[in-house]
Amino acid sequence: MYRYDEFDHKLVADRVNQFRGQVERRVSGALSEDQFKPLRLMNGVYLQLHAYMLRVAIPYGTLRSEQMQMLAHIARKYDRGYGHFTTRQNIQYNWPALDKIPDLLDELACVEMHAIQTSGNCIRNVTSDQYAGAIEGEAEDPRIVSEIIRQWSTFHPEFTYLPRKFKIAVTAHKNDRAAIKLHDIGIVVKQNDAGEIGYEVHVGGGQGRTPFVAKKMNDFVPKAKLLAYLEAVMRVYNMLGRRDNSYKARIKILVHETGEEEMRRMVEEEFAKIDASEMLTVPQTEIDRISAYFAPPAFETLPADSQAFTQAQADDADFARFVRANVVAHKQDGYAIVNISLKPIGGVPGDATDAQMDVIADLAERFSHDEVRVTHEQNLVLPHVKLDDVKTVYDALAAHDLATANLGLISDQIACPGLDYCNLANARSIPLAQEISERFSDLDRQYDIGELKIKISGCINACGHHHVGHIGILGVDKKGTEFYQISLGGAADENAAIGQITGRAFTEEDIVDAIETVVTTYTDLRADGERFIDTYNRLGMAPFKERLYD
Amino acid sequence: MTDYHLVIDGATAEESWTYLDDDAALSDAPSIISLTRLKDEADALAERSAPFGVILRADGLGKTDLGEDVRELAPFIDRLALIAIHFPAYRNGRGYSAARVLREEFNFTGQLRATGDVLYDQWAMMNRCGINAFELAANIDLATFQTALGELSGAYQPAADQNRGALWARGK
Repeated sequence: MYRYDEFDHKLVADRVNQFRGQVERRVSGALSEDQFKPLRLMNGVYLQLHAYMLRVAIPYGTLRSEQMQMLAHIARKYDRGYGHFTTRQNIQYNWPALDKIPDLLDELACVEMHAIQTSGNCIRNVTSDQYAGAIEGEAEDPRIVSEIIRQWSTFHPEFTYLPRKFKIAVTAHKNDRAAIKLHDIGIVVKQNDAGEIGYEVHVGGGQGRTPFVAKKMNDFVPKAKLLAYLEAVMRVYNMLGRRDNSYKARIKILVHETGEEEMRRMVEEEFAKIDASEMLTVPQTEIDRISAYFAPPAFETLPADSQAFTQAQADDADFARFVRANVVAHKQDGYAIVNISLKPIGGVPGDATDAQMDVIADLAERFSHDEVRVTHEQNLVLPHVKLDDVKTVYDALAAHDLATANLGLISDQIACPGLDYCNLANARSIPLAQEISERFSDLDRQYDIGELKIKISGCINACGHHHVGHIGILGVDKKGTEFYQISLGGAADENAAIGQITGRAFTEEDIVDAIETVVTTYTDLRADGERFIDTYNRLGMAPFKERLYD
Repeated sequence: MTDYHLVIDGATAEESWTYLDDDAALSDAPSIISLTRLKDEADALAERSAPFGVILRADGLGKTDLGEDVRELAPFIDRLALIAIHFPAYRNGRGYSAARVLREEFNFTGQLRATGDVLYDQWAMMNRCGINAFELAANIDLATFQTALGELSGAYQPAADQNRGALWARGK
């Protein structure tokens, strides 16, 4: 994992001091709320329905155990004993006091963490594949270029007051777990026929009220040219992105209104100008320095199979279920990737208590080469666990309600904070997620239904990714009453698609039954081996619509 | 009298320029004119000995409000002694790109000035993008300005200033 050098430490410390001054000027009245707003946002501080909310960056979703311990400590000391992991691989605290936030940030800085650029109209925290460095088949560890992008985009003087926020995601695998096509810029690290590493760059994806799948702008940007290319995209956007209407200000709208071809032409023209100086070609020594931090950990040479692991599954049916749903093959023989679901039946998606975070930090230190990952589906991962240790890890997780064996199943839902916390929401998301989770609580039924991603947003801003849920649910407000609209067929993976709305919305009383109807329509009509999304793609909307409304 | 005071290259300076309305007659004093006027009266301006500058406006130009295109200044760059970049609101960061294009693509060496909603917390970023002159609110002193520029000790990335950025500096 990347470690700060003196420069990184100093810059974060400077930033905390700067923010401390800004908070003081706000408290003294020298800054108005309007003047303070972009400054606090640039430091991850939102003003929510009930209180300030702080969003802490977890770059590309990778944490060391001491960092996870710090997140637990902060939940205890500054919040109400829990934190909320988000779809952007960050963590949010819902109850910090504004005047204590600089102290909180000082503590975070001790473990090389910060809240820089987790909000505001700037380049946000870079996200990536939670299985980076652990899954077979990556062109290169995507965190190397993610870290380079993190540094390049931090306090970028030209791109700090963009028309709107800007999100970059990176994957290096054919199975996209980072939803790169739904980002302002999505990057696929790949190898060309000559064996060189380069980047496929997608631009203009996004959700919100006008969802778009990103357009491929360049099939292969050579490794040395990436920052020049990114700077070209950013400059075109900063100069031509709309600032007259915040709903039309994201780069997806610029790409859509300009057209893919014209956008590509403008980017290439800008790229040629920027690249001419080679100013943005990162020295190889620096790339090597950063890459070294992401070298594989010291794996032991082990047999591919573990007798203890196999036996434990035979002896313990619950463990066998956990393995089936949550454990994924590792690239290294004798190791496994262990997913920790933060979606217990009836729980709040993405929430973890301080005690749970401490347990996970401890397990990471003892059994996973000191690493934890956060996923955009609001779960956690222990990326490097020996097969021999999986049962021990499972037992410790189970003792803290962290062993729910539902990864990728119907109860593994994404939900935004919704009307319980958010001042933009029209409807509650969390209670609905809880009701659906309870309705489908039977694990055998969940396995029978198979992979099915439900994503719930409490308003059209789509923080709960409803557009790309296999089943998406959108909370809408009609004359003061909460209604829920269903969409089907969305996907956030390499086959990214925007879901289609089924028809009129359902009341709070009817929505869970409607979801049940969608699910039984699928189980009645599916062919052998078909997942929900396959059946939907084969049959289309008609049979679902018929059952829902006739 | 102006309602701002000027800092140029880190020092307090007297205002020697006048912003001219489009319908005001040209004088012998150094004048800042609009882009429209610059394009319309380029030949007449060329014959005058007094220096002139231009203001690049970032808003108030129609429905989608994209602002004036910095690259329209290309034919005039050598004749301009000053370019003022208008920041209609501190949140509107379009002018940062304009500044870098002027410094890095056009190699503009004259005065590059920030005017409009130019606040404490944006000065350092503007400075890194090549802006060397600031119209500050009357109650801001030079020491406050210098403090703001020094709040962040370093940078990761190159821009229009001398700082190469840590990603490059470490590699040396």
